[in-house]
Amino acid sequence: MEIEISRRRFLQGSVALSVIAASESVSFAEKNDTKSNIISSYGISKTSKDGFSVPTLCEICVNKCALLARVENGVVTKLDPNPYFPKSKNMLCPRGNAGIQALYDPDRLKFPLIRDGQRGSGKFKRVTWDEAYTYINEKMVKILDEEKDNRSTFLFCAGEGMAEETFKTFYQVFGSSNWLNHASLCLQTVTSAYGLTLGAYPQADFENATYVIMAGANRAEAIVTPDTMDLFKRTEGRGAKLVYVDPIFTNTAAKADQWLAIKPGTDLAFVLALTYVVLSEKLYNESYVTENFNDFEAYQEHILSHHYTPQWAEKITGISAATIEQVAREFMQHAPQSIYYPGRRSTFARSDFQLRRAMAIFQALGGGIDIKGGLVFGKGLGLSAHEEVTPIYANSKARAIKKKEQVTKGQAGYEDCAIVSGGGSWIGWRNRFLEGKMPYKVRGMFVYKHNPVLNMPNTAKTIEMLQKMDLVVTIDTMPSDTVMYADVVLPECTYLERTDPVKTFGGVEPSIAQRNKVIEPMFESKPVLEIMRGLSAKISKPLFEVAQKYDEDIASSIEDSSYDEVYAEFDLTKPFTSSQEALNEHAVAKYPDAVKSLKEKGVYYPEMQTFFKQLSANTYQHYPEKAKAYTVNAQKPKTSSKKVECNLANLADKGVDAMPTWKDDFEFIVPEGKFRLITGRHAQFTQSGTGNNAMLRELISENYIWINQGVATKKGISFGDKIEVSSTTGKTVLKAYPTEKIGPNMVFFIHGFGSESKGLSLAYRRGGNDNAVIEDKIEPVYGASVMHETNVTLRKV
Amino acid sequence: MAKYAMVLDYKNCINCKACEVACKEENGVLLGEHYHRIWVGVNPIKGVYPDLSIASNAFYPSQCQHCENAPCQDVCPTQATHYDENGVVQVDESKCILCSYCMVACPYDARYVDERSMTIDKCSFCSDTRLARGLTSTACQATCPTKVRVFGDISDPTSEISMILKTREYFTLKASLGTEPKLFYLK
Repeated sequence: MEIEISRRRFLQGSVALSVIAASESVSFAEKNDTKSNIISSYGISKTSKDGFSVPTLCEICVNKCALLARVENGVVTKLDPNPYFPKSKNMLCPRGNAGIQALYDPDRLKFPLIRDGQRGSGKFKRVTWDEAYTYINEKMVKILDEEKDNRSTFLFCAGEGMAEETFKTFYQVFGSSNWLNHASLCLQTVTSAYGLTLGAYPQADFENATYVIMAGANRAEAIVTPDTMDLFKRTEGRGAKLVYVDPIFTNTAAKADQWLAIKPGTDLAFVLALTYVVLSEKLYNESYVTENFNDFEAYQEHILSHHYTPQWAEKITGISAATIEQVAREFMQHAPQSIYYPGRRSTFARSDFQLRRAMAIFQALGGGIDIKGGLVFGKGLGLSAHEEVTPIYANSKARAIKKKEQVTKGQAGYEDCAIVSGGGSWIGWRNRFLEGKMPYKVRGMFVYKHNPVLNMPNTAKTIEMLQKMDLVVTIDTMPSDTVMYADVVLPECTYLERTDPVKTFGGVEPSIAQRNKVIEPMFESKPVLEIMRGLSAKISKPLFEVAQKYDEDIASSIEDSSYDEVYAEFDLTKPFTSSQEALNEHAVAKYPDAVKSLKEKGVYYPEMQTFFKQLSANTYQHYPEKAKAYTVNAQKPKTSSKKVECNLANLADKGVDAMPTWKDDFEFIVPEGKFRLITGRHAQFTQSGTGNNAMLRELISENYIWINQGVATKKGISFGDKIEVSSTTGKTVLKAYPTEKIGPNMVFFIHGFGSESKGLSLAYRRGGNDNAVIEDKIEPVYGASVMHETNVTLRKV
Repeated sequence: MAKYAMVLDYKNCINCKACEVACKEENGVLLGEHYHRIWVGVNPIKGVYPDLSIASNAFYPSQCQHCENAPCQDVCPTQATHYDENGVVQVDESKCILCSYCMVACPYDARYVDERSMTIDKCSFCSDTRLARGLTSTACQATCPTKVRVFGDISDPTSEISMILKTREYFTLKASLGTEPKLFYLK
């Protein structure tokens, strides 16, 4: 066997080639040169035995894996996996391990800042917290007064995170209706489609499935716990056959039994053809379908009469009819221990909602619902809710969505999309704002742990939106590209410096876990709870005065009772008075010993003391097999009808196909000389959030554009050549990686690079920004961003 | 006295490089991509799109093999490279003269220059970090998402690693050289 054993690295597309550049001097507040000191000071402490460990939860991505942070002499020196947590079991990925670099990143936001130059110039001056709050207060009072107390004149947007709910509470008591989160840039269509079809977005039991179809979810690189760990221990002939569907050959393809190089964006045709085979050959689980499906006959008739045959799908998908037949048959042979993986990813094509519906129904045809080895719902451990304050502002307008003026039955009711979800349609909202199509003026925005400049298609438009705001307040740990456009920057401490709201994790092995503060916040940074506490104390009364001015009811209420009584209903400080620790104690009060366990072990579930044990060097038992919650709903879906919903007639009223249907315009044409742009994830990077992480930067210092080897040869492009990628949206430049791992009419590069923030000395202008190029196309059902429907041209520069 | 070794269920490896980062953080390996004690080797893929050989693109996590018959120890003129009481190949910082004979002699390319300690450094099975703190696992083993590695004492017939080697087929790298590596790759 010829085995590569050299320490020399093979080029994996976007592999690191250059050494970390020395940090550049930038016009960003308070540079210091402690980087080398910090890194070596903890790195050298090799033999210290006096350290202690604090159990906490990672925040380098969305998974929230449990870790033990070792502290020596007040310095966090190592992050290790915490085996108590069933979700992450006993592991920490490369990003989780590199979390210390986020804590000790010299570019961190250290002090409150107020803009001291043109917006976007990156010029800020250091201020005190009080000065920052005072500045915000004055601007808010002025804007709200001018807008006659329409609270919705402020937009609140947040990235995913455990403290997101604290920020959302502020949004709620403030009284705005404009909330946008990452959902429409991420998993909105998948969660909603599974929710409507099966009643919930299920988990995949990869520990017991024997057959897995994984499409467009690159779990070897876009790590999800426990899916990634469970699956890849069982591939390569060791229990689970993996069929991986992806236009490019990823690390997941390298671990698969079969790789199907599908044409991008045609997954719906693939699933419809799988369904056709199963229905026409009667391979489905008849008793399951009879008992648990609504409108099965209609769906069968729909699939068969549309002739979604394997031969039809072969032309669209590029996957041979014989392979489609083979996969359909194998899937049903293994059912119910077979999984069509729902995935957790952004929306790639306009058909995404219907794709996920078709996947959910296909899964159910085999009966693999709420059953060991299939898709599972699992159990949850409830938390006690906190008391809420919900002031009602008479002048606060409804969410800035635009209803169509004339809606006929069978058409989308809104300008952007058919259904408006809680998280909204980010690019739909942004584009209408820019086009002057808002029902009222939106003049300010609060941004928490969110980087819309790099995170959503058409960077130029997002910047234009920020430029048009009268007030931009950002709360973040790092000077991201979005922070550069802020008027006021409020520095949040990192996840290792704060206790966050306790969280429950449902599943086959349910548990509760808590992010515990490891060390005190550095510099003048604070947890978002304390930031909200300070800000609300400053603005609560002045904003109440504005409300009073424009709401006659408040004035008359004061006359009837007293100022203090009425003000109490509008007191913004109320939700933020308790400490996070006290709030968490209240949330888990009904579980004896939970507080102690969460503090000492980071994790709690009722039977932990008896169930938890180490089985081998690497494996732990969290629940014995008999106690695992594989089946919680008698193998039925969780819809209110307890049936799989094949036919959603109420969606048809809104212009959405009631049953998954292939439309001719789903076929995406790539003109001669152009390339379809595909983006994706990487195991050593979390979107744009880890771009400045010194440790991860050396694993992947910049992204490379994958170009088919034959195409590159023809165009005279070699490895490392600089390539300008352009579309109707814009341009970006990055280096070339010619490879056989991608087809001839497409190009690929990972998301999260190409930062233009001078505050990020390592990330600044490293690699290319996909969202500078991706066109802002809107998925029709939920208004999600369509990531993979942009044609680009390439030019060697 | 133990005889430390490691088995690698390399088919589990997804090339995520958690082991590389954990090693660096645990052992204070210098930042910079040329400084690393462990790595994942990847064979270049064979075939033409879309007819690619999946098997050709396998991942091989690797590091110092802690050979029983280590060429690097043989050639070291100052005995900086030596075996400790647990059979682990170690480098004595105070004796290393940076002659780099060991780098040339090592058939596994497991050594690199640490410019801070001015030593030809390598994997030490976390001897002076985790083992010194009383742990019995290496950083790379502990952190691995798919649990590629099991570290342990092969002189103890009841240890987990000994039991694995009794019950599973394995191979060593470049066995023909007679270096007798103590890293065992499971078939």
